[in-house]
Amino acid sequence: MTKAPFANPGWAGNTGDFELTESEIRGSDFVGERPKSGGHASGAGAMPFMFRRREPDSEIFRGEYLERIEKVVSRYPDKRAALLAALSIVQEIRGHVGHADMREVAELLDLPTAHVRGVATFYTMYNKRPVGLNLVQVCTNISCSLMGADEVFRGFLDHIGVQPGETSDDGEFTVVEAECLAACGFATCVQINSRYYENVSAEDIPDIVAHLRSGGGE
Amino acid sequence: MPPSLVNLTIDGRKVAVRKGTTILEAARQVGSHVPHYCYHPGLSSPAMCRLCLVEVEGASKPMPSCVTTVQEGQVVRVNSEEAVGHREGVLEFYLVNHPLDCPICDMSGECDLQDYVHYGGRERGRSQEPKRVFGRDDFGGDVLFYGDRCVMCTRCVRFMSEVEGDERLTVVERGDRAVIDTFFEEGLEGTNWHGNIVDICPVGALLSKDFLHKARAWDLEHSPSVCTSCSQGCNVELHVRDNLVQRIKPRENLAVNGWWMCDHGRHNYEWMNRGGRLQEPYARVRSSSTGNGSSANGSSGNGSSPNGAGRSSWSATLSRVRDALIAARGGAGTLAVASPFLSNEDLAALVRLVDALGGGRVVYRSRRAPDENVLKGFPQLARRRDLAPNTTGLGLMGAKRVGDDDGAGGLDRVAGHDGVVIVVGDALHDQMDDFAASASAFIYAGSHAPPSARSAHALLPVTTFAEQEGSFTNLDGRVQRFSPALIPPGSARPPWFVLGALAASMDGGEMARSTAEAFAALSASSPAFAGLDFEALLEGGAMAKTEPARGEGR
Ligand code: SF4
Ligand code: SF4
Ligand code: FES
Ligand code: FES
Repeated sequence: MTKAPFANPGWAGNTGDFELTESEIRGSDFVGERPKSGGHASGAGAMPFMFRRREPDSEIFRGEYLERIEKVVSRYPDKRAALLAALSIVQEIRGHVGHADMREVAELLDLPTAHVRGVATFYTMYNKRPVGLNLVQVCTNISCSLMGADEVFRGFLDHIGVQPGETSDDGEFTVVEAECLAACGFATCVQINSRYYENVSAEDIPDIVAHLRSGGGE
Repeated sequence: MPPSLVNLTIDGRKVAVRKGTTILEAARQVGSHVPHYCYHPGLSSPAMCRLCLVEVEGASKPMPSCVTTVQEGQVVRVNSEEAVGHREGVLEFYLVNHPLDCPICDMSGECDLQDYVHYGGRERGRSQEPKRVFGRDDFGGDVLFYGDRCVMCTRCVRFMSEVEGDERLTVVERGDRAVIDTFFEEGLEGTNWHGNIVDICPVGALLSKDFLHKARAWDLEHSPSVCTSCSQGCNVELHVRDNLVQRIKPRENLAVNGWWMCDHGRHNYEWMNRGGRLQEPYARVRSSSTGNGSSANGSSGNGSSPNGAGRSSWSATLSRVRDALIAARGGAGTLAVASPFLSNEDLAALVRLVDALGGGRVVYRSRRAPDENVLKGFPQLARRRDLAPNTTGLGLMGAKRVGDDDGAGGLDRVAGHDGVVIVVGDALHDQMDDFAASASAFIYAGSHAPPSARSAHALLPVTTFAEQEGSFTNLDGRVQRFSPALIPPGSARPPWFVLGALAASMDGGEMARSTAEAFAALSASSPAFAGLDFEALLEGGAMAKTEPARGEGR
């Protein structure tokens, strides 16, 4: 068997082929930490930039954030490729990506502003307007739908008392529908901030919401 | 080495095309049109629209012909039942969301979707769902966006990034929410070539505010012409209704402007529609041949014809003018002011007339912009500094430029000249009322009678380029033809005809009776134009013999 030279194995545990730690592979210093508890490994890619904690007043791309973006840029032959990562950092800091942020990213990466907008709006995981501290995304795609996603979605809306896409008055919750979250085997899947909650049924909702209210949504 | 050729069969016809040609282009060469939206010869092909599907023998699925290059021995069927069926399917999807508001859409009559549905659409839609609605957006500049009509071909996005070189447009969102937009309120303001996205939008999603609801496409007459707004000489079409130019569209000429034209040229047409025209010839010079009194037309100098002289007025006026010129000839000599908006033929006639008067100087004035405005993705095209269409032609025929970059000044010698003064086309806008008051004969030929022509002994109504046939020489020395789009007012005649008639009556030579004859006379008399064939000029123009001076005057 010919061994391929180094290829990033993702993180499916240590396969024994490489002497690399998870943080070496993920680059946790600058991509961000994996949450301490819960979450399915398949959600790892979405983790770093969906925090409950926000720093809306901090400057984007100064200090530590600038270091991070510089590291990201250094990974690619051209700056355009660092756009997704840059937008992720914005979202991590602010909780959403606003007009002014897009302009700032465009300036930093020397890209046309329209291009940045096009990319930011193409990907649904970027929030284009402010969301609550807990962003509840209920998958209503086919597997989840078969497993009662509509009830779960309605359940969240009713329990929290919002309309789809709305943020609750206390700023704690925003509930939206999501396309397939790629956790079809564990339907109904609900992504809350960085974390996947799987096999969710309508009965689980009060517990989940209480957990989130007590600050457990990190 | 001959370019390597690839042999293939398209719709049963054998064809050999250059390696690397796409099936769509090869099909065009054998005369099979493949429906398409996203493909445009001047842009990259992203295979967005899937309307160009064709059947390729041996391929497991229909192929998008705009991005599939030809292969040796390939057998392509553009019009087989299967290929047509695939395209019908795609078309049906387009109609799921398209509003079909042809009755109020400005693109109606020249819309690709309308045509394709007409030729190959289903009789009735099967979709039960409500259509998606985006509404409209003002993109700034001259562009309005009707989101519901957009077919997401991204031609406009690619034009802005690849050709204009200013990536203002983008696709926002995705899937059925995808919509074309700029960066929020930024808009297209400040770009110089964005009118082209209205032309290349295959449906009525991008419309010109200037043309909005002005006319229906099928009511417009199209006349091939040349842009007069700078010396680039973009090939254009004048679209006319009610004897008014309604809009200008570019015409393909790869050597000059590709498929494009600038916004400055596109919107500079109102002057062709200006009223208050000089309609009848008018002379107040004494005529020895008729023994007529001083003024034939009373004293009003505004060019209307109170004398009702009808058809004879031209010949009567011209013979009086000729007599006056003959009487004044010699003496202090002739000074002529031409306009860089005159055609080559007009100018040749003017030069001949000056020669018949014993020679003299021909000068012209032209406006110049401070800089060029280059189209980044097609840099052979620019809005040139020189803002007139025929300065090169004037230069080739010996006329000299005077005055400043605003097209003013420089006429002091002419204004005070006491010999013969002939002004053709120049509006004399900056001149005093007593311009050429002391001239022994002052002939003014133009479309309007300006106040400074008050002392003219004769006012001769001539056509603008939009009302006549002729040719211009662009900055590269390319001689290009334009054809008449408007009916001239009153008895205005082309300058080459009027001046040619005067010259012929004086030098006893032949008088040109058609533009072709006028051009033939020009190519006989001017070495720069020797050997050029007027008929052949229609297709893309031809180069004049003399290398024009490039650089400063561009
Ligand atoms: S606006 Fe017109 S050119 Fe632009 S993507 Fe839509 S249909 Fe195509
Ligand atoms: S570049 Fe010059 S010739 Fe071409 S459209 Fe503009 S003004 Fe007219
Ligand atoms: S359908 Fe819900 S995760 Fe795939
Ligand atoms: S023209 Fe080929 S996919 Fe659009």
